[in-house]
Amino acid sequence: MGKYVLKRLLHGAVSAIIVVLIVMVLIYSLLDRNKIFSGDPAYNHTASNTRTTYEYARWEAYGYVDYIPYADYLRDLVKAGEIDAEAQKGAAALGRTAEKDSELTVEYTAKFREYYESQGYEVIRLDADTKKNGQIKSGGNPALFAVKDVPLAQRALKYFMQMFRFDNIHYVPEETDIGERGLTFTLHDPVYGGEKFAPAIIGNGTLHKYLLYFDGQFPYLHQNFLNIQLGESFTVNQGVDVFDTMTETQGSYVLSTVTYPTGVTLERADDLHTATYVEGSRDSIASNAEWFTDDYTNVKIVKVGMSRLGYSFVIGIISTILAYILGLPIGLLMSRYKEGLLDKIGTIYIMFIIAVPSLAYIFLFKAMGGAIFKLPTLFDVESGSKLMYILPIVSLALPSIANLMKWMRRYMIDQMNSDYVKFARSGGLSETEIFTKHIWKNAMIPLVHGVPASIIFAMTGAIITERVYVVPGAGNLLTTAINRYDNAVIVGVTFFYAVLSVVAIILGDVLMAMVDPRISFTDKAR
Amino acid sequence: MEDFNKKYNLSDAELFAPVDHSELESEKITAPRYSYWKSVFRVFFRNKVNIVILSLLLFVILFAYIYPAVTHYDPYANLMDPASKHLGPVAAMNYFGANLKWILGTGASGEPTFEAIWNGSRISISLAFLCAAINMTVGVCIGAVWGFSKKVDMIMMEIYNIVGNVPTILIISVLAMLFAPTFWTMVFALTVVGWIAIAYFIRTQVVIIRDREYNLASKCLGTSTIKIAMKNILPFMTSVIVTLLATELPSYISYEVFLAYIGLGMSDMSLGRLIYQAEGAMVTPGWEIEFWSPVAIASIITVVLYVVGQNLGDASDPRTHM
Repeated sequence: MGKYVLKRLLHGAVSAIIVVLIVMVLIYSLLDRNKIFSGDPAYNHTASNTRTTYEYARWEAYGYVDYIPYADYLRDLVKAGEIDAEAQKGAAALGRTAEKDSELTVEYTAKFREYYESQGYEVIRLDADTKKNGQIKSGGNPALFAVKDVPLAQRALKYFMQMFRFDNIHYVPEETDIGERGLTFTLHDPVYGGEKFAPAIIGNGTLHKYLLYFDGQFPYLHQNFLNIQLGESFTVNQGVDVFDTMTETQGSYVLSTVTYPTGVTLERADDLHTATYVEGSRDSIASNAEWFTDDYTNVKIVKVGMSRLGYSFVIGIISTILAYILGLPIGLLMSRYKEGLLDKIGTIYIMFIIAVPSLAYIFLFKAMGGAIFKLPTLFDVESGSKLMYILPIVSLALPSIANLMKWMRRYMIDQMNSDYVKFARSGGLSETEIFTKHIWKNAMIPLVHGVPASIIFAMTGAIITERVYVVPGAGNLLTTAINRYDNAVIVGVTFFYAVLSVVAIILGDVLMAMVDPRISFTDKAR
Repeated sequence: MEDFNKKYNLSDAELFAPVDHSELESEKITAPRYSYWKSVFRVFFRNKVNIVILSLLLFVILFAYIYPAVTHYDPYANLMDPASKHLGPVAAMNYFGANLKWILGTGASGEPTFEAIWNGSRISISLAFLCAAINMTVGVCIGAVWGFSKKVDMIMMEIYNIVGNVPTILIISVLAMLFAPTFWTMVFALTVVGWIAIAYFIRTQVVIIRDREYNLASKCLGTSTIKIAMKNILPFMTSVIVTLLATELPSYISYEVFLAYIGLGMSDMSLGRLIYQAEGAMVTPGWEIEFWSPVAIASIITVVLYVVGQNLGDASDPRTHM
């Protein structure tokens, strides 16, 4: 069994990687890359050569191209110690055309051209855009840069390489003096004043200060050794990773008394456990120097709401449980009293849910819930009321209930004519006994297969429900990313979904084999 | 025998005449003439509810095609008339005079909602029928091969696992951005991967009945694979296919509404796009009818299609022909 599951997992991982490749081809190669400027106000303020360089800079940010301006090349040379600042300044001054360059500039532009052309880049020189009177137009300054389209293989490789990041004590550059590097284990977490019993592992030289700690937030024990990165968002949630976008809390700040490492106590919303290293942050910002004793100053903020995944999962999981609690017994009763009143009503309900567009009945329930039951129809993160969960949960549960009813009834009726049922009946068992002791167990086997999937996909959220009730969940992430051309988020979310579906199917198979001893996935039994 | 002969005084030769073995006569089976589709429709029309619903379906479809063809619908005819916008049915009748087209009031640009809905229905129904026809044809054909051949099964399962994990919304939006979001782009987007789920469903059905005894016997007697597929398996699957069609047809209308609602719809004024544009009107008191009428029509079309299909599917199961 273990070997089989491992084989399936590897197989699934390959499928997920191919899915990512397909999606990368779809969005990076097939789509017109000029579309990203359609909603960009800054683009219209650029003109002439600046517009061209702006385009390439944006394309680099969105992940289409590798773009290296000449100035960056010179800056790297200065860093590497090959030239001094004065030479850099001289070499950076481009003439209006290549012929008008100074000797120093000619030397370095030639080097630049040679270096990047050998690496497969295209080196582009834009001459100054001048007016008729010889003045340079606004934005018409000459420019020199090297560009290369990122090949698919390189992009995919880079994506998967950066996906798992293990925090280690060599994260902070070796030349920075931060005292002794290493991990310390403490039983008394300094965030809680160093008195309370709270085990924690604190790193020095790592990205995160706290690598393992306890706090009052679910799941109580947190780790920062392994970070998952699915791709940095560019427009949806700028500069934040997709995984963080899905898991970070939302809403207004929750103020509490925070005691900083220097002993300063303030009413703020900082979560000191999330501190990450920012080089030189105490020198650049005065308040950091006042509060922190080291450069682990970048902290997340405690907010009132749950994360996107959190909201989606809470709503999804409750509606899933509700669906199983209601759908299975109703389906069972429908088959028990086939052609009866309950069966007829149930069939009409199933028909209604399958045939009517989901949008229509969600709006119908929203209107009814608001008008008749006076329930809140809009989700408000700040209010903290539990009532606002009711309508989204009900809207999500309705189709699942219909689906479970339909299949439960179908499987029960299929089993009713099998030989073992006839045998049980001839043995004198009552119909109720046959249903509850024999048929039910057999009819449940195919339904068990879907249980892990319905739990796992509760997390991803439902697009329409979340949109109609304005739930800040994860369901809209993909559509928002598509509308805003956030390529990294599209790839990240797709990969996340693909992994979830692979895991869900494997778990379903395993669960089915556990419930039904006749099913075996080992080769021997086949 | 002896007694009988004595009683009537007849010889054996008079009583019995030898009959030759007739090859032709022995092949005849004395059973009532049976036509499969005739019995399907006999069972279907036995239920009076089916007649009512089928007439309703025909009415809706004919109305959706004929009404926009005989009337001239111009959504922007009243654009410059601010008093004509967002009128209720009564107000619209008072303003424009009594006419069938004002029966559902006017929309955001003073257009008659009634005409807008039927124009939208025509587009949505066309889309559903076209997509269902393409997907069902491709899906059933590929699904049959997929279920029969073990080699094809291995390859197709891999494709299914991969393509199934690429979000459909992404494919549709990429196609909508690549080409203009027209009707034909939508048909292409819905069919380019839509067939694979149907093919998978058919494949499972074929696998289930492929190895049954009667097919095994047929194979042992030397029937070719194509003949087994056409004569043994396809008739068995007719009711499954019709039932599948019954869920597929309305699902395209629903899916189009869903796509339009999340902003990925086509540029034509389909039902989905009408609903999407009237969403704001739903929360404005007095304008709700603009939102609910296309929703109601979409629901009626899908429910009627579904019920007719399901009942036809039930009727096409030979076990109900008794």
